[in-house]
Amino acid sequence: MRWWRRESGRARLPRGEGPWAWLSAGSVSLSLLLLALLLGLLVSRGLGHFWSADVALVTLQDGRQLAGRAVREAPLPGGSGRERLYRTGNRDLDGAIWDWVALTAIRDVDYPQELVVLERRRWSEFIGRLVALAPEAGPRLEGEAAWSALEERLLELEARREAIRELREQTILPLVRRLEREGESEATQALAMAEARVAELRASLAGASLVLESVSGKRLIQPLEEVVRARRPNAMTAFDKLVAWGQDVWRFLSEGPRAANTAGGVWPAIFGTILMVMLMSLLVTPFGVLAAVYLNEVAHQGRLTRLVRIGVRNLAGVPSIVYGVFGLGVFVYGIGGRLDSWFFEASLPSPTFGTGGLLWASLTLALLTLPVVIVATEEGLARIPHRQREGALALGATRLEMLTRVVLPMATPAMLTGVILAVARAAGEVAPLMLVGVAKLAPQVPVDGDFPFLHLERKFMHLGYHIFDAAFHGGDVQAAMPLIYATALLLVLVILMLNLTAIFLRHHLRSRHGTLSSY
Amino acid sequence: MKPSAPNLPMRQRLRQGRDRLATALITAGGIGVIAAVMGIAVFLVVEVMPLFWPAQSPGVGLETLWLPQDLAGLEAPAYRWQPTLGDDGGPLFSLTPLAWGTLEAAAWSLVIAVPLALGAAAHSALFMPRRLRARLRPTLELMEALPGVVIGFVAGLVLAPWLERHLGLALALLLLLPPGLLLAGGLWRQLPARLQQRLPLGWAALWLMPWLVMTWLLAHWLGPRLESLWFGGDLRSWLEITLGLDYANRNAVIVGMAMGFAVVPSIYALAEDALSGVPRSLAEGAQALGATRWQTLWRVMLPAASPGVLSAVMIGAGRAVGETMIVLMASGNTALMTANPLDGLRSLAASIAIELPEAAPGGTHYRLLLLAALLLFAFTFLVNTLAEVVRTRLRRRYRRLGGPS
Repeated sequence: MRWWRRESGRARLPRGEGPWAWLSAGSVSLSLLLLALLLGLLVSRGLGHFWSADVALVTLQDGRQLAGRAVREAPLPGGSGRERLYRTGNRDLDGAIWDWVALTAIRDVDYPQELVVLERRRWSEFIGRLVALAPEAGPRLEGEAAWSALEERLLELEARREAIRELREQTILPLVRRLEREGESEATQALAMAEARVAELRASLAGASLVLESVSGKRLIQPLEEVVRARRPNAMTAFDKLVAWGQDVWRFLSEGPRAANTAGGVWPAIFGTILMVMLMSLLVTPFGVLAAVYLNEVAHQGRLTRLVRIGVRNLAGVPSIVYGVFGLGVFVYGIGGRLDSWFFEASLPSPTFGTGGLLWASLTLALLTLPVVIVATEEGLARIPHRQREGALALGATRLEMLTRVVLPMATPAMLTGVILAVARAAGEVAPLMLVGVAKLAPQVPVDGDFPFLHLERKFMHLGYHIFDAAFHGGDVQAAMPLIYATALLLVLVILMLNLTAIFLRHHLRSRHGTLSSY
Repeated sequence: MKPSAPNLPMRQRLRQGRDRLATALITAGGIGVIAAVMGIAVFLVVEVMPLFWPAQSPGVGLETLWLPQDLAGLEAPAYRWQPTLGDDGGPLFSLTPLAWGTLEAAAWSLVIAVPLALGAAAHSALFMPRRLRARLRPTLELMEALPGVVIGFVAGLVLAPWLERHLGLALALLLLLPPGLLLAGGLWRQLPARLQQRLPLGWAALWLMPWLVMTWLLAHWLGPRLESLWFGGDLRSWLEITLGLDYANRNAVIVGMAMGFAVVPSIYALAEDALSGVPRSLAEGAQALGATRWQTLWRVMLPAASPGVLSAVMIGAGRAVGETMIVLMASGNTALMTANPLDGLRSLAASIAIELPEAAPGGTHYRLLLLAALLLFAFTFLVNTLAEVVRTRLRRRYRRLGGPS
């Protein structure tokens, strides 16, 4: 620091702040930069996944051809030159969906219009050419006619699939459950009819097939019913692509997962997350407010209350996994096991409530977020000037009336802030859920038309756990990466929105009470 | 309130009765809720107790849990956490590697988070204009709200492979960042006064960002050259051959970076509170005597606020010890006991998350994992309480010194 302060041997008043000031300024910008980098990564990769990028037809020096989308470039292991990774799809034909190509080995890159990208239920995508469409009956269609017929057929297929899904969810499943409960009844007949209808629809799906050819010349007969959608990215205009992008985002939000959570959508996970969080806030709000009102308005303000207050505050810092352990030990094994042996003896040893489920997960998270709500509500209560309470009491109100008519309405924004913060925290917690009821794949959402409509004992899917599962238990992580990015972006967006609401509310609250206490 | 006299009207008595009933209900409910939350500690203790009755769980005791054991096939006593399969058939329960992994991860995250967070707190308390500070706070609060599973995913699946490929670049970045910032400071002093006013130190956090990006580009250029100059072209094999350090893909440093990122906001918020709570008169006095703002911070504000800063670091440590998903996804989960920061680790919290669903309730393994949870609970609760006590003392001290103005 010396050189900074002394010049020409005479002590001078320091003009600068010295090196540390710059290092500290740098740490702020570094933190902000890291945050921006993380969010930017999530947004670009998460949203970019749905963009149907052009498909390149690459001709190599040795004459081999491949078609795919360029993913990234990296230097060659030897250190000379670079190589490029193509996602070529066609797992059933080539055995892999990736292809590394050295840049020097590429002779020519072209973007021919006729390349199609098919999204399929099995083997994920196909990239290549459409040779012909072979309907159940009638002549084969080839060339451009095949493409327009394919688009038409896909729309039709979509409608039939939707019909099957609706039949299964709204007719068959309730009937099956009724049968399980009541045994033989007229439900059997209805069930047989519905199943016949499904079989009929299903049969109408099958039949037509596509003749496909990869760019390397391998032929493939693809049953049409396996195809989810077909695109020709190179022939699409930017506007077409934008529309397709919107459709794909909507599919992602509204469909269920496919291929062991590495493809498809996340609708059950969104539903499970929201439902669990809603149940949790229903549980946590009354109890949290009750405890806060007790601590702040009713309890004798002595040493014990102060200790309890510090204790509650510190529980907010206890690791979430500890709450998960508590939930597993007390709710699932303790209370759940007891409930099973009392009410669900018939289905033992397979547990009903004695295993993780929606109810236990929301209870555990309610416990986890209870300190947040208590602390926020208490802060709100403490902010209310004492003369408000005294005024109410002086006018003859009882304590209950004072609380419900004067104090609680004034503390509502604070409570709301607490609940929203609790929801934001709960939506992001995954560790405790792994112990008390989240499932890798739960095709039945916990709400349906079957009595009692909300099935608290069922397991559910969760966005956060979906990320963990797809990232660490899936087969081909590389192939699932774009989807994980999209899921992560969705989760972050939900949580950021909740937090922004809380921040806004708190700001609003501060300004309101600022004017209030200046009376 | 007098007991209801007979001459009070019916309505009045009803109201008072209702009031008394409601008060009783609130009291019962409040105490019940608080007892339920506090019940966590009781539950854990009760469930863990049988572990230390010799009849219930043979072969488990303080020595086997925490001291190295003689194992068949090994010359020296060793620590092993192998809950399902041991070498000689039986499970091996040594909590030491897990506790070590937890502390190692927490230590590395603090190494990364503390300088960043305290630097940021100092800068925003000292130099930042009020308007910018009011914006920075919520931004960092949003950073705190990022779910662990997302950070863990990015650390484990994006950062870890990237770092493995770009070790040289990372090293160059580490070497270039501090001198780069100092250089920025030196250059700024050479600027004409008008430009200095356009780019004030208070807004440095924003206009330094492009500078940092430039530093990154420079590191990108320098990294491979540095690697070939000093480390024979490949830093990773140099580490393995010369220093004998294994490089695991997911390692303690990655965990430290990810968790450091997650912990920065909470340390920042508390430290900034402590620093900006220092009574104005102290800082103004120091500046009136001719100290620079940084000297004021170092000699006056920091000594006054040091308990608060310490408690901020403690809360950060508590959070780092208990964080589950980041460690689970970024650490590789190998129960090793090495001081090598480039090797994997397994923490207590991650072990609970992985193993507890499979452990038979009531068994030794189950109870041991509950013991791990109890340890985490006790540690974080104690650390947080200590930090809270320190903060309360500090607030009292500030009030004595003249109160936050």
